[in-house]
Amino acid sequence: MAAFLEVRGLQKHFGGVTAVADALFDLREGELLSIIGPNGAGKTTLFNLISGLDAPDAGSVHFLGQDITRAAPERLARLGMARTFQHGRVFGNLSVLDNVLVGAHTRLRAVKPAVPVVGPLLEFALAAVRPAAVKAEEAALRDDAMRILSLFGERLLPRLDHPAFSLSYANRRRVEIARALALHPKLLLLDEPTAGMNPTETAEMQEVVHDLKRSGLTILLIEHKLEMVMRLSDRIIVMDDGRRIAEGLPQAVRNDPAVIEAYLGHRETGGAQQEAVP
Amino acid sequence: MSATEAALLRLDRINSFYGPVQVHFDLSMEVRAGQIVCLLGGNASGKSTTMKTILGLQRPRSGQVWFDGAEITGLPTPAIIRRGIGSVPEARRLFGAMTVRENLLMGAYTRSDRAAIAQDEERVLALFPRLRERLKQKAGTMSGGEQQMLAMARALMGRPKLIVMDEPTMGLSPLFVDRVLALIETINREGVTIFMVEQNASLALGIAHYGYVLQTGQIALDGPAAALLRDPRIRDAYLGGTTAA
Amino acid sequence: MNAWFDYTVNGFVIGNIYALLAVGLALIYGVANLVNFAHGSVYVVGAYVGWAAITYLGTPLPLTILCVVIVSALVGVGIERIGLRPLHGSSRIAPLLATIGITLVLDQIVQLIFSPDPRAVPMQVPEWRIPLGGGTIGALDLLIAGIGLVSAVVLYGFLRFTKLGWAVRATAQDSDAALQMGVDINKVNMAVFAIASALGGLSGLLVGMYYNQISPAMSFEATLKGIVALIIGGLGNVPGAIAGSLILGLTESYGIALFGTSYRNLFAFVVLIAMLVWRPNGLFAGRRSLPPEPMTGTFITRSRPLKVPRWAVVAIIVVAALLPLTGHPYLLQIGANSLLYAMLALSLTLVAGTVGQISLGHAALLAIGGYASGLLALDGGWPVALAMPAAGLITAALGTALVFPAFRLTGHYVSIATLGIGEIVSLVILNWTGLTHGAIGLGGIPPLEIFGYDFGSVESTYWLSLVVLVLLALLQVRLLNSHLGRSWRAIRDDSVAARSYGVVGDRYKALAFGYGGFAAGISGAITAHIYSYINHETFSASISILALTMVILGGLGNVLGAVLGATLLIALPEAFRDLAEYRILIYGVVLLLLIRFRPQGLLGTV
Repeated sequence: MAAFLEVRGLQKHFGGVTAVADALFDLREGELLSIIGPNGAGKTTLFNLISGLDAPDAGSVHFLGQDITRAAPERLARLGMARTFQHGRVFGNLSVLDNVLVGAHTRLRAVKPAVPVVGPLLEFALAAVRPAAVKAEEAALRDDAMRILSLFGERLLPRLDHPAFSLSYANRRRVEIARALALHPKLLLLDEPTAGMNPTETAEMQEVVHDLKRSGLTILLIEHKLEMVMRLSDRIIVMDDGRRIAEGLPQAVRNDPAVIEAYLGHRETGGAQQEAVP
Repeated sequence: MSATEAALLRLDRINSFYGPVQVHFDLSMEVRAGQIVCLLGGNASGKSTTMKTILGLQRPRSGQVWFDGAEITGLPTPAIIRRGIGSVPEARRLFGAMTVRENLLMGAYTRSDRAAIAQDEERVLALFPRLRERLKQKAGTMSGGEQQMLAMARALMGRPKLIVMDEPTMGLSPLFVDRVLALIETINREGVTIFMVEQNASLALGIAHYGYVLQTGQIALDGPAAALLRDPRIRDAYLGGTTAA
Repeated sequence: MNAWFDYTVNGFVIGNIYALLAVGLALIYGVANLVNFAHGSVYVVGAYVGWAAITYLGTPLPLTILCVVIVSALVGVGIERIGLRPLHGSSRIAPLLATIGITLVLDQIVQLIFSPDPRAVPMQVPEWRIPLGGGTIGALDLLIAGIGLVSAVVLYGFLRFTKLGWAVRATAQDSDAALQMGVDINKVNMAVFAIASALGGLSGLLVGMYYNQISPAMSFEATLKGIVALIIGGLGNVPGAIAGSLILGLTESYGIALFGTSYRNLFAFVVLIAMLVWRPNGLFAGRRSLPPEPMTGTFITRSRPLKVPRWAVVAIIVVAALLPLTGHPYLLQIGANSLLYAMLALSLTLVAGTVGQISLGHAALLAIGGYASGLLALDGGWPVALAMPAAGLITAALGTALVFPAFRLTGHYVSIATLGIGEIVSLVILNWTGLTHGAIGLGGIPPLEIFGYDFGSVESTYWLSLVVLVLLALLQVRLLNSHLGRSWRAIRDDSVAARSYGVVGDRYKALAFGYGGFAAGISGAITAHIYSYINHETFSASISILALTMVILGGLGNVLGAVLGATLLIALPEAFRDLAEYRILIYGVVLLLLIRFRPQGLLGTV
């Protein structure tokens, strides 16, 4: 069976620096795969290469059997790939609800016809006239957005009309995830969903991601809080200096000397390691 | 009190924020004159913000920074540099389109004693002979390791009492990592106090006198470097979510 | 043959004058990341200071030059210190808008002191010319070339061998790192503005001598030419700016040789647009991609817009509809004028506010609408009632098509491109005599008449404009509340994130420009039928700036705010008619105060 997402030999260099060297992995449907590694290991660059925000120097990406190497991000959105961003990129001046609705953009009937000139004009006319079908669709999207927002309990529901810039950092991350879910993605890419969150908020987020996984969503996760990674992941890939240094099940990765070395450093780890690893 | 008096740099109950997120929670630490002190910590533990706070690039919401017996909290960065702090920024941040020599002279920007600057240039080039061959070369065309050396040499040109370094070994090949660490020790032996932020705990503790481990904006662990190096809790501070208490 | 030699010399001399401007723009862009739209004002200040020194003080040439350099440098320091430094930390467009406000203020001050009439700069150079290679070179040519050369050498020496010069270069490359070396960035900025302005002022003096004429109106063109040269060389690239200036000077000169004087500027702007489309980083850059913009939505000021209740809006419309009952023709005339401007402001607030494309050429849409409707009625014999909506559609299509190549640009580049496109439209109108009647303009445009009903009276003009405006505004509100509205705003706040969710920038920018073109086109069409005569200067670039001021005053993206801004800026100066001379000055000051103290405008950005 062809893999859901297939990454082969991806490379990316910035100037003389190699950000990603020969990334290679498969992601199966319904799986949660985590990518971990120290700062500057190339994780976010890898995300950008997969999600079309950056073009690889070499290698290929296949998604659902289609070659999506160097595909434009809007095409990937239509194919059902949604992502969140490391530092959070909500639309600051849009309300919480509007942010989530933008996530559902590709599902709108009005945006479907890709015919030049005629398509946009039709879309414009539908927006101006707003026939019953469009109203019904918008209402359905709103209901769906509310359902998604309710995944975060009472965190976002009381703030539907608040502009995103006024939200706390944690709430902005939640809005980002809600926006991604509104796309009804087949594949979800989460880049540090708990960055800047306190332990309680992190635990909540872990619950949310866990539920998403249980509902069958395929997820690629970058995360620094390793405890969360260990609990959620089916498999883990460890990156350092742009390469994969380990891959496997959470427990095995945790005790892999190469991983410990990547995090703690390359030299004189002997003593610390023997005592640290039970 | 004597310990406090010997501290060249002291952070006192710093609380800082990045937007709405609190980065430091009552962070206190000190760097004694003549030592190499390292600040360790995993991703997003608040290391870089500590650096920015010392250099005046970011103002803490509360708390104080003391340097050389005077409070420097809230001073503009150039004033702080003038008081005798040299900076080796993260990712080096050289002036790539300027020559190596011009970069060195930028390091001496706060000084006007021409003769002494020329002397220091000689002294620094003796320490980094590789740079002498490349004085007229554009800094941006050098290798990563050479750039790191230039960044250190540039910081030395200001005759600082203290040099703060942000991840000096990041992205370097193992060979250069060794060389950079050896140079840090040499600089320190010449009387310059070093405060370095490092992700690579084993390396940093290998040359440091004292270490702090930062975890989510608080000091989770501190002690003499040799003791820290053997402390198993350091692994938890990096790899685990569990608090090392 | 000899004519070509003269054209070359002329192109080279003009290139030198442009270089003095462009080098300053490049320096400022380098340290402050800002395209200084006020640069032409310093050039005008320099020209007038030189004129005044010679006329009133009888200064010899070296002293004249010294006066110009010193006063211009001081003006530059003032611009940096008073106009720009307080904006540190505000939204990204604030400094750009501030330079526009500064240029309004400075130009108007010069005009108030020296009157708008052109002046002749007394010649301070001997009139001899040396025959050379079939042509001639005059003393002034040599002087300008000499000053250009000396300035370049001095500047090179400054940047290469002085401490402040290193600080300037270091700041341009990495201001954060420079700060950590102890460089006082404020001091560097101030020094750069002083140097850039001194060179710009010198350029103004030389151009005054060369053409033997100066006027406050030459500010705008100087800014534009400097920017074109800057773009050719690459933003922030000082040697590139010099090369770009010489290329521009020669291109213009040869263009004049081939096609005639009226094509000079057309050449410059076509070069500009071509560069922006194909080589936005300049001729000498290796990379072709645009530099990335900062990450998240700090482009416009964050605010919570004021909620105006529905009954209040209805009340305003009712009051506006009842205004003609006062029987005050003068009041109604101002009212109609405000309404027509409000349509333009609606268009601009959508494009600049909702989609974040700060257009500086919006008056061109009025011109297209006015000409389309006028020509259809006049030469095509269409009834006015059909010509006007057709003109709206033509403007929508043509406006969108013209801006389309600029859709991939962001930030400053959009403003520069739209400024250039606006100028191209007005130059095409001037030169395409066969279609537009050229410089003579369109006379005898039929008056407003819809299906036999004459709208020629002040009341009916007013009512018609009000109905059209209300319809356009309601439609715009409806669009903003649909998925189009949130897609537009998403693109503005973060185009990268928007793309990742399938919101294709080009498509939605085109729809915004299309609708904006329609609204502005209708406004231009009505105006043309009211005026009965229009020419290529009727819808000048200053109207674009005025419209932008209205939109900022009301709150970017805010429909009601646009109407309010237009009304205030058109009606209020009328209330203080004694101050008519100061009108532009007031606009400039209003703009500057807004940017500084209420960047979200009166009703708030949406």
